[in-house]
Amino acid sequence: MLLLQAHSRFLLETLLNRVHNLDKAVELDYHWVEFDDVRYHVQVTMKNPHILLLSVSLPIPPPETIFLRGLPFGAIEAIKAAYGVVVQILDPPRDGFNLTLKLNFSKLPPDEERRHILLVKIASVREVVLGAPLRVVLKHLASRTVAPDVGQLLALVHRPKESFFLIPQAEKVTVVFPMRFNDSVDTVLATSFLQEFVEARRTAGLNNAPLCMWSSSPPLDLKEVPSEALSANAGFVTFVIFPRHVEGKKLDRTVWNLSTFHAYVSYHVKCSEGFMHTRMRRRVESLIQALDRAKPDSEKSKKTINNRSFKRLSLKDLKESRSNSMS
Amino acid sequence: MDPTSRPAVVIDNGTGYTKMGFAGNVEPCFILPTVVAVNESFLNQSRTSSKANWLAQYNAGVMADLDFFIGDEALSKSRSSSTYNLSYPIRHGQVDNWDAMERYWQQCIFNYLRCDPEDHFFLLTESPLTAPESREYTGEIMFETFNVPGLYIAVNSVLALAAGYTTSKCEMTGVVVDVGDGATHVVPVADGYVIGSSIKSIPIAGKDVTLFIQQLMRERSENVPPEDSFEVARKVKEMYCYTSSDIVKEFNKHDKEPAKYIKQWRGIKPKTGAPYTCDIGYERFLGPEVFFNPEIYSSDFTTPLPAVIDKCIQSAPIDTRRALYKNIVLSGGSTMFKDFHRRLQRDLKKIVDARVLASDARLGGEVKAQPVEVNVVSHSIQRFAVWFGGSVLASTPEFFAACHTKAEYEEYGASICRTNPVFKGMY
Repeated sequence: MLLLQAHSRFLLETLLNRVHNLDKAVELDYHWVEFDDVRYHVQVTMKNPHILLLSVSLPIPPPETIFLRGLPFGAIEAIKAAYGVVVQILDPPRDGFNLTLKLNFSKLPPDEERRHILLVKIASVREVVLGAPLRVVLKHLASRTVAPDVGQLLALVHRPKESFFLIPQAEKVTVVFPMRFNDSVDTVLATSFLQEFVEARRTAGLNNAPLCMWSSSPPLDLKEVPSEALSANAGFVTFVIFPRHVEGKKLDRTVWNLSTFHAYVSYHVKCSEGFMHTRMRRRVESLIQALDRAKPDSEKSKKTINNRSFKRLSLKDLKESRSNSMS
Repeated sequence: MDPTSRPAVVIDNGTGYTKMGFAGNVEPCFILPTVVAVNESFLNQSRTSSKANWLAQYNAGVMADLDFFIGDEALSKSRSSSTYNLSYPIRHGQVDNWDAMERYWQQCIFNYLRCDPEDHFFLLTESPLTAPESREYTGEIMFETFNVPGLYIAVNSVLALAAGYTTSKCEMTGVVVDVGDGATHVVPVADGYVIGSSIKSIPIAGKDVTLFIQQLMRERSENVPPEDSFEVARKVKEMYCYTSSDIVKEFNKHDKEPAKYIKQWRGIKPKTGAPYTCDIGYERFLGPEVFFNPEIYSSDFTTPLPAVIDKCIQSAPIDTRRALYKNIVLSGGSTMFKDFHRRLQRDLKKIVDARVLASDARLGGEVKAQPVEVNVVSHSIQRFAVWFGGSVLASTPEFFAACHTKAEYEEYGASICRTNPVFKGMY
């Protein structure tokens, strides 16, 4: 079972590497892309080895989501709360990116353990920024304070030009994911995977897990949403989150798992395709074995042990031929 | 959004290590050992009990087909628990176990690079001796399982040449000496096309150097725990080995000043946790010597590497030979020994000069042959030169046009991956 970790492995590795070799000035310039079209850029210059510029670009938001100056609402506050003095937000961000952070390594806490925790947090910048609005809503749920926008539908971006929907209420939050896949095989696999997923939720061991439903048509709660945002080819998944799911430390995990639900499903679709290939390969091998067994023996006798095509004369043959000639 | 606007993913699967990252960067994101640890506790049950099997798995809390690790994690998992078995998907530069390979790619893409394979073009590498069937298999896995929008399977020696291309000048003619962990190939390339008939390969590679060092240390009865001896030998190879110019002199040096040349290795016994130390002596220079005097390691193969390179160039078309001698490029982790390129250049020059002298003598001084320039190029990124070449290639705009696309795959099937354009053109 795979649950993606919140931090980007490569970013964390780069940061740790940098912190351990702070006295060595190096030039770094890395670009990379994560799932759902989140792009990163890291830059360190020879002049200021203590400064690292981290730029992040987010998926293009669909029209129904709210973005403030290129970021989801609550993101700036979330960044400030999570990172404190180590990070400074540069305004305007680098060309082509939504957010540029300036990390100052000299302001890191000296304590080894706390420093590591902070670096992991920085490497999870994606969760902090993209999950910010979700976190705000779920925090209200956890503290059971009534948010100002109760009952109002919220759209949050999670993939380029795609969003999922939140319906916050006083006692629960309903989350609806329209599932879309490009490939027809993927769509079929994802549909059956999701049905199994809902089925698995009903087993006894998972009584405390959030309620989960799947339907092929959009749920009634979404009737106000424009229909082009609801064109899903693998149905709709609904989770109902109760306050007990967001208590204390569970909040972070819930936010991350919800905002990467699509990646989770798509990973498992690929895994099942891989598994089927394994089965097919095994089947072909067993068929080939069966064919080999069915081959007539005459073919075998053609090849002698020494792989020689000519017949060797043995002493016995020689004697025979001699006796034949004598007679 | 269009996948061509995103950087392509470049994965170079080697026998020992896999290098992966995004095109346009100068370094791969990850360099991992090519190894998969599979949970096989549930795999070998009979098919009739598949329902029970599933239930047993479910109760144990694992899905056996999802329960596996790659790279360093795999190594540490297999050490700490006995439920995981290590499997090496690539042997001698060829994919050996496709199930393991598919899983390896799956983890590379989803867990390490964390990208969506549908969003990126892919560049994979293969050795020049790979069979077309294996290319088809690769294409099948990439297009069917991962739904990649486009795929390019490049020949690793051409990429190694392309890596040098940016550091100096535009030169796509040369001999690539690729010494990896599992396979050694000498591949002549003329104007970007591989001269397929002249490829030479040697049954001695990085792993053999490790085995040789292990054997030397065992024979000297150094105090190394047997279960760890291969790993220690590998570390010794990577950290302390160097190429000598003359073995006899090197032996003398070691004997005269042991304090200066003999190194100490400190380790901890994995079973008991007790610390131990051992000496590292002659194996420091004897390890890499295997390439220049193979008879000290095996009696089956005794042609030194410089002679093989010379033979390879001599079998290439005559008009390319001078250019080939001029640009001999090293790639692969096992060419990283200190002064490896100097020794190679010197030995090769000796062979070539001897031949020129002999032909001069035969002609009796009537015609003077122009001296042949021998040049072994080495650069700082030899360890992942192939990856870097791939990164350079995949960041050019022409790359996307050269790829096999998903639409083509669906139209014609896996046979589109069969031919590699790099092998065409010369003949």
